[in-house]
Amino acid sequence: MARLKDDAQWIVLMGFLVSFGLFFLAMVINQSTVVGQTTAESAIEFPKNDIRDVRGALIYSLSNGTSNVDETNYPNNFVGRDITVLSLSRKNAIAHVDNIIAPDPPFTDTANMTIHFNNGVTDYYENCSNWTEL
Amino acid sequence: MVNDQGQLYTIEAVAAGLIMLLTAYVAVSSTSVYTSGDAHISDMQLEVVGYDALHMMDIPPNITVTKSPLQQIVESNPPDGIRFGDMFDKIVNNRTSLSKSDRIHFNASYTYRKSDDSIQIEYLNSSRFLTGGEHTVRATKWVIVQKNLPGSGPASNSNRAVLVEVLLWRD
Repeated sequence: MARLKDDAQWIVLMGFLVSFGLFFLAMVINQSTVVGQTTAESAIEFPKNDIRDVRGALIYSLSNGTSNVDETNYPNNFVGRDITVLSLSRKNAIAHVDNIIAPDPPFTDTANMTIHFNNGVTDYYENCSNWTEL
Repeated sequence: MVNDQGQLYTIEAVAAGLIMLLTAYVAVSSTSVYTSGDAHISDMQLEVVGYDALHMMDIPPNITVTKSPLQQIVESNPPDGIRFGDMFDKIVNNRTSLSKSDRIHFNASYTYRKSDDSIQIEYLNSSRFLTGGEHTVRATKWVIVQKNLPGSGPASNSNRAVLVEVLLWRD
């Protein structure tokens, strides 16, 4: 076998290393566009609309009287139980409301309720009170 | 002693090592399936459109009307699916472009609780029947209605929560 010409071998070696370095950097950039869980997926899974919706429905009904919402003291009524049962079967979420005090104008505008919401990804708990009556 | 002999042999060894590493990498990574980062953005946008449309429909048009269109639709007997379809279709397909090729289709229903805690699904309207091949997203809205829902206990006009559900897809 002919002997390799050994001029300028350092230059060849350094050029070789730099080119492979660039190659690996390109591969890293290429991989950065593929991920397992996408950002948009996470945004879809976050139940912003669900929580806001449950909250809005409960506040709206409670403004029209405790008996609309409080299923502990008024077992036939209605909105609180509806939301619990339908959330479980249609939304894969646990929703519950308790600690209910309805506003009783003109004596008091104070109102209170505790909302629990959990869809397995996000757990939400809020004690809302003293909102202005509708 | 370090000298400058044999550098091309070093290069050859490095190249061989890199080729083996690359081969192993390609072989291992070919078994996993990745989703590109922008795959679900269109789903997210479609879902937001659906939620916003339902939200708009659950707001009374002015201060003299106490019930929102969505409440009126569910409360009327039988439920006014035609009106729902007209209104929802206009909201989600209202755009400046005259193109007819991008259209959002929907399939709407609402769900309520019966007195034995089972649930009942009532069909509202759809722009096209589902075949099962569509890639749909779901938008929902809680609506408070005063209605005697069939099979849901004593007749009274107390508030009830029903869940309006819409499946949306592009075609």
